[in-house]
Amino acid sequence: MSGLKKLISILSAAAIACSLATMTASAAESYDPYSYDRWGDAVASQAGYTADYFVDGTTIGCGAFNEPGDFFITEDNQFYIADKGNNRIVVTDLDFNLIEILTEFDYNGEKLELKAPAGVFVDKYTDNLYICDTDNSRVIKCDRDGNVDRLFEKPKSELYSQELTYNPQKVLVDKAGNVYVVVKSVTKGAVMYNADGDFLGFYGANRVEATAEVIMNAFWNTISTQAQREHSTKTTPIGFTNFDLDDDGFIYTVTDSQEIKTDAVKKLSPKGTNILETLGATDVVFGDIDPAYYSIYTKNSSLTDIDIGPNGEMNILDFAHGRVFQYDKLANLMFIVGGTGEQLGTFRNATSVESYDNHLYVLDSRKNSITVFTRTTFGEIVTEATNLYNDGYYEESYEPWCEVLKYDGNYRRAYIGIGNALFQREEYKEAMKYYKISISRARYSKAFEGYRNEFLEKYFSLLLVLVVLLIVLIVVYRKAKKRGVFDRKRAKRRM
Amino acid sequence: MLDLTKGQFVKHVLFHPFEGFEDLRWKKGGSMRIAVVVLCLLFVEQLAYDRMYGFQYSVVYDKVFNIVPYFFRSFILFLTFVVANWAMCTLFDGEGSMKNIFIDTAYSLIPFVASGLIATVLSHIFVEDEYIFISAIEIIGTAWTVVLFLSGMKAVHQFSFGKTLALLLLTVVAMIAILFLLILLLTLFQQVLIFIFSIYTELSYRLRV
Repeated sequence: MSGLKKLISILSAAAIACSLATMTASAAESYDPYSYDRWGDAVASQAGYTADYFVDGTTIGCGAFNEPGDFFITEDNQFYIADKGNNRIVVTDLDFNLIEILTEFDYNGEKLELKAPAGVFVDKYTDNLYICDTDNSRVIKCDRDGNVDRLFEKPKSELYSQELTYNPQKVLVDKAGNVYVVVKSVTKGAVMYNADGDFLGFYGANRVEATAEVIMNAFWNTISTQAQREHSTKTTPIGFTNFDLDDDGFIYTVTDSQEIKTDAVKKLSPKGTNILETLGATDVVFGDIDPAYYSIYTKNSSLTDIDIGPNGEMNILDFAHGRVFQYDKLANLMFIVGGTGEQLGTFRNATSVESYDNHLYVLDSRKNSITVFTRTTFGEIVTEATNLYNDGYYEESYEPWCEVLKYDGNYRRAYIGIGNALFQREEYKEAMKYYKISISRARYSKAFEGYRNEFLEKYFSLLLVLVVLLIVLIVVYRKAKKRGVFDRKRAKRRM
Repeated sequence: MLDLTKGQFVKHVLFHPFEGFEDLRWKKGGSMRIAVVVLCLLFVEQLAYDRMYGFQYSVVYDKVFNIVPYFFRSFILFLTFVVANWAMCTLFDGEGSMKNIFIDTAYSLIPFVASGLIATVLSHIFVEDEYIFISAIEIIGTAWTVVLFLSGMKAVHQFSFGKTLALLLLTVVAMIAILFLLILLLTLFQQVLIFIFSIYTELSYRLRV
């Protein structure tokens, strides 16, 4: 066997081995894991989470669910599942062993029943249970045994237009005890009450996206009379759909809209402004960047739920494609999990997402089940690296990022992470290489500056000598030319 | 006076923007060969400026590469200009021949091409904060070219300044017309080719049966 033949056979064997390895790696999921590159193009990736199993009402032992709308994991690790179609709240532990079923509530001796509860929340500070009793137009506040403390009903205030129906969808309570309710018919933000049940106002309204139509309306409004203006179309923002609280007490909102990208995901400051924008995440597109094209229609992402994980990562549920998009706390995309379909790990009508430790739980209101995802080895490494990186431990994140690249060469943030570690070590040339692969222009410029300074320090004397030599040569050449050394005629005459 | 070689004339024109082209005209000092070289360099400059610029300034979508836009921006645009300008100016008593318009336009592009190439080289030496040096070079080069171009057009046709401007405007209109017709021609030829090809396929199927 000649050397060349041997080489070819070894190479082809290696190629086959590699292709087999990738096949087995992606065969575990019922969908193709992908991610987005620097250009917003979808590229193949490794699965960050894998679907373990799913549970429904029968396996829990409470009878089948009927369009469950929302669920919540409490501080003491219990599931509260709002089983909307069966008018009940199902309580289980983390392994889905049934603890109790709440259907009746005691309100000063009066029995209250639920009607299509769409949202449930347990306040970790006071341990109170809040239920959006949607079709009864009220939010129930009770203790964990079902003794009602207070009802939050339609605010009797001039600020709240009385012809609007009060159909609460989601509820949460902040550190200070203020209660926020997302009401479907209100677009001005969440309806906000204090702990005593007094209406305070609206919180965290979205802005209106400046579409061509909105700008035209604004233009006509400036030149029209008051009477005309009253009859023109009002531009109202789209109200947000869902929200969640992180460990620091910040409220995150998501807005479910097929058309509008403004304020799709917000982290609200106490004033109601979006903190994610000050973090530099202004041009992040949450959800799928390009819509999915089908033969007769296109489908954009519609973000229906958000959950903040233990490290501040945002799990955002895309109802339209049945996917969970996991972002780190600085809004960098980490993983995309799930899809539409009937197999394990895909969804029909995903309505709610929760996370606990290294698990993701997704509630499907059509399949009437909860799917449990567990982080893969790849996911663990990426999470470790991301956390170290986001906390500023660039040097320490070097090893895990290198490990990430062994799994997924498309993972852009790994190149940035390695580049930053190398930059901190002052290995500028290597850092430049990684920044170039990850297409991070500004970082590359910094690394290049370092490299250039290093180069100048090293060769400064040599460069100086060269420049001086060059100047001397030019001067000598000019003088010689003036004297006519290069003049052919004179040279001949001298001979 | 002014017995310069063709190569020396390039330098003379560049550094005497106002009487340089007049001298070039009277002495017939323009060289077609140099003009073609400049045109080729323009193509190189367009390519280099777009694809080889320092990474700290510009990031290029490098998944696809198409040479046609660069070809268009240099050769096709230049030649269309020369033809359109000649066509319009001849109608208005311009004295320039096609060859002289070609040479003058090419000569006036030299500072632009040079500044583009120098900027591309410098973009690999400077960092992001020092961009002002590069942009200064680019602006000087472009402005220089504009001055040379106007004076070149004025000299080659022996026009007044106002008439030069007016005819440049007309030239642009003529260029658009020419390009439109070219595209039309191209699509029509495509149709003809498709027609011939379909006849060929039809016949070959028939013969096979």
